[in-house]
Amino acid sequence: MKQAFLRRCCLRISIAGLFFLRAGLVFAQEYDPWQRFNRAMFTFNDTIDTYALEPVAKAWDRIVPERVEQSVTNLFQNVYTPLVAINNVLQGKPHHAAEDVARFMANSTFGLFGLFDVASHWGLEKHDEDFGQTLAVWGVPAGPYLVLPFVGPSSPRDAVGYAVDSVATVYWFFADIRFTIGPQTVQVVNSRAQALDAVRELKTASVDYYAAVRNAYLQRRARQIKDQQENAGPDEELYRIEE
Amino acid sequence: MTYGCHQPPLFVAVCRTGTWLLFALSLFSGATVKATENPREVIERTADAVLAVLRDTSLTSDEKRRRIEDIASNRFDFDTVAKLVLARNWKRLSPEQQARFVQEFRKHLSLTYGRNVDQYSDERAEVTGERQEADGDWTVKTRIVRPQGGEPVLVDYRLRKFGDQWKVIDVIIEGTSLVANFRSQFQEIVSRDGPEKLLQLLEEKNSRGEPLGQVPGRKS
Repeated sequence: MKQAFLRRCCLRISIAGLFFLRAGLVFAQEYDPWQRFNRAMFTFNDTIDTYALEPVAKAWDRIVPERVEQSVTNLFQNVYTPLVAINNVLQGKPHHAAEDVARFMANSTFGLFGLFDVASHWGLEKHDEDFGQTLAVWGVPAGPYLVLPFVGPSSPRDAVGYAVDSVATVYWFFADIRFTIGPQTVQVVNSRAQALDAVRELKTASVDYYAAVRNAYLQRRARQIKDQQENAGPDEELYRIEE
Repeated sequence: MTYGCHQPPLFVAVCRTGTWLLFALSLFSGATVKATENPREVIERTADAVLAVLRDTSLTSDEKRRRIEDIASNRFDFDTVAKLVLARNWKRLSPEQQARFVQEFRKHLSLTYGRNVDQYSDERAEVTGERQEADGDWTVKTRIVRPQGGEPVLVDYRLRKFGDQWKVIDVIIEGTSLVANFRSQFQEIVSRDGPEKLLQLLEEKNSRGEPLGQVPGRKS
């Protein structure tokens, strides 16, 4: 009897503990227990960016007209569209997947291999999906915040998603990794060029650049997963003034 | 003028007072007309006013910055923004520290975002929708369209009613809330090093008028 009672008590306490932990996590807002490692990785990435990627992106930005930059972005987005379609199927959104297939066909032909996004002009909506988001829809938790070398802000879940997406892209469209390095470099430089102002602004506007990037990443990810670009704002809790 | 050098009769004096009163009332009613602006109008008029300043080629960058600051101080409730940014840490600040924080945070925003006045290149802002939130706030959705092409930038404004006026309490750019972002930056600093450290960092950053980059004195 006594033992059973004790066991029940222990169970209750541990359940209470779980809730307490959960509440603690919600309260802390951002789960970042690997901060030491992450900050080091973040500094590493930022150094590489400052001394290698940003200068190259600046040069690219100076040489390449904005319209061409946009076309390069379109081209790569088009290449990834089948992958977006697959992720939409995996997330149980066949309508979106069908739209992606239509977009891919329209842009690959009339849009000259994807240089021009004619599909958007025709009212075919662009979707933003990846395998990390698919895992989230399947109920896989993100886990702690994680900064990956060269890749940047991520989480264990999104890191797996990123790896799966990369492998899928390479095998789907290119025969050999030798052919992918060139285009991938162009893509990285081009997208960095388009973010020159945004990154500079975030650096200037933040008191703690690391925390600012972490928060921006987590907010963006939550929004992508919710997939409700039109009607979901930030959490209501954010706007409550505690008196 | 009609009465020359004579003292005006009493009724004229009364009438004059009446005119002043009327004038004052009309000012007042002007103010109330302004006060009954709905959230959407607040954003539309603010955007129009800001764009007019940005497009005015006769103004220097400093004048533009000052005018936009004036517009912003009428349209934002910086006290509320500051409270929301500090959240539960707000109470850890003394009234004097709270006042300093509001002042420094505001200065920080105007320094960082005021820098952009010269980067304006014919962007247009359009309101695309609005919705009421559960707590009575309103969110007005806009997008900034760039003439050079590229994807429009989505900017949402959250407004709260103070007395008769709707004031902006958060700006959400491409889904990233400014309040949430600053909250997460400040939370760690305040809970680890205390509120004075945060104020010190902000003051230091503002006095330099440039980015601090990594926060010094970090444990890692």
